[in-house]
Amino acid sequence: MAGSLKAPSPPRWLLAELTYACPLQCPYCSNPLDYANFTNELNTDEWKRVLKQSRKMGAVQLGFSGGEPLVRKDLTELVSYSHDLGYYINLITSGYNMDEAKIIELKEAGLDHIQISLQASSKELNDYIAGTESFEHKKVVAKLIKKHDYPMVLCVVLHRENIHQMKDILEMAIELDADFVELANTQYYGWAHHNRDQLMPTQEQLQEAEAIAKEYQESQAGKMKIYYVIPDYFENRPKACMNGWGTTFLTIAPDGLALPCHSARQLPNFECPSVRDNSISEIWNESTAFNYFRGDDWMKEPCRSCPEKDKDFGGCHCQAFLLTGDATNADPVCDLSPLHHLVTDAIEQAAMTAAEKPLVFRNSKNSKVF
Amino acid sequence: MSIQATSVPQLSPTYRLQWEEAQNMFVLLYPEGLIELNQSSAEILQVCDGKNNVTDIVSALEKKFDTTGLENDINNFLNTALGNGWITQSA
Ligand code: SF4
Ligand code: SF4
Repeated sequence: MAGSLKAPSPPRWLLAELTYACPLQCPYCSNPLDYANFTNELNTDEWKRVLKQSRKMGAVQLGFSGGEPLVRKDLTELVSYSHDLGYYINLITSGYNMDEAKIIELKEAGLDHIQISLQASSKELNDYIAGTESFEHKKVVAKLIKKHDYPMVLCVVLHRENIHQMKDILEMAIELDADFVELANTQYYGWAHHNRDQLMPTQEQLQEAEAIAKEYQESQAGKMKIYYVIPDYFENRPKACMNGWGTTFLTIAPDGLALPCHSARQLPNFECPSVRDNSISEIWNESTAFNYFRGDDWMKEPCRSCPEKDKDFGGCHCQAFLLTGDATNADPVCDLSPLHHLVTDAIEQAAMTAAEKPLVFRNSKNSKVF
Repeated sequence: MSIQATSVPQLSPTYRLQWEEAQNMFVLLYPEGLIELNQSSAEILQVCDGKNNVTDIVSALEKKFDTTGLENDINNFLNTALGNGWITQSA
């Protein structure tokens, strides 16, 4: 067992990815490229066991996501069960297929908050990126969410194709009366990594977007909270991934695999354990996967002797793997990494080739190729 | 915007204050967020019930902990809480 011998802190966040099924086809989706292979979804009772065991260990924030969680017929039943356990329940949805009856039903079951995503501020671009006509419907749903008194987070994933709409997106958020707005640039995992050249914004686009975000953060202070996140490729220090591996977050994939981070499935260093074979406490406390990057015994240089290692824990291990082929390397976003050029090269390459390549949309047909 | 002695603070409707047995502490829950509270912050938020004004809150807590001179700390915390949107105030 790698990592420190100290008992790990308990999980506080449980992300329940109920299904990989989704009516939309966002080319930046963070689901695995080969998601179509994982069809053996957990059933209602299996989810209930996960929810109960995780709550007992300390998880209190719960996100139902996917794919599109509304696809699951038992969503309301799971919300109600989680509410009785004392979770704060977040629904992370595209809003597609949502209607007023469902919004009321979920509220009565104890749902605390809804995060709805839009793909752009115009119908044309939204429907193109989503790969599905959905813009008008999403806006109606957003209004119904507020009508029924939920706090609402409006999420728009930013990239080269829509970042110029920043101002319109924020105006739309005001019109829809969002409480929080999440304007996160695409992070390059899953489908987004595959489409990286086409999605990567330019430096100029980012500067402009950042200035607009700042302006609105000031003018909306006290009314609407705006989170703006730049792609970490443009930073010179990595993010403290998952607040530290195996310290806070527990993700359960649709097929029951327990993941320390939503992209951990692809890491070759270990097998992620399944909730079908193990209890949550065995998984959290004893599994190789969850212990692998705990503490700093696993670190190599330059992280090992770096004074900042307690701040970012060497960055994101999945990103280190995707870019360098070795998850125990420093996240190459860090400019102290000898492989940092992989990141700057990627930005340059995107600037040169983006126009020549078509976006690959996330759907079952494309997924079966991987 | 800062807190006045006569204003009545109340937990914002988007936030939920909850005791967590597993961690032995109060936490503040909101959309996709979780704040772990130390004991004094939790004590103050528990009496932000929309009825007590700041003066009442100070005297209630001084009485509860059999001490004096809490006013500054409580004001500072309430101002932070207001700035973060955890509480709202009415006159
Ligand atoms: S990012 Fe888009 S395609 Fe992926 S799960 Fe969310 S809505 Fe569906
Ligand atoms: S060298 Fe490693 S620990 Fe130091 S800042 Fe870079 S990624 Fe973080």
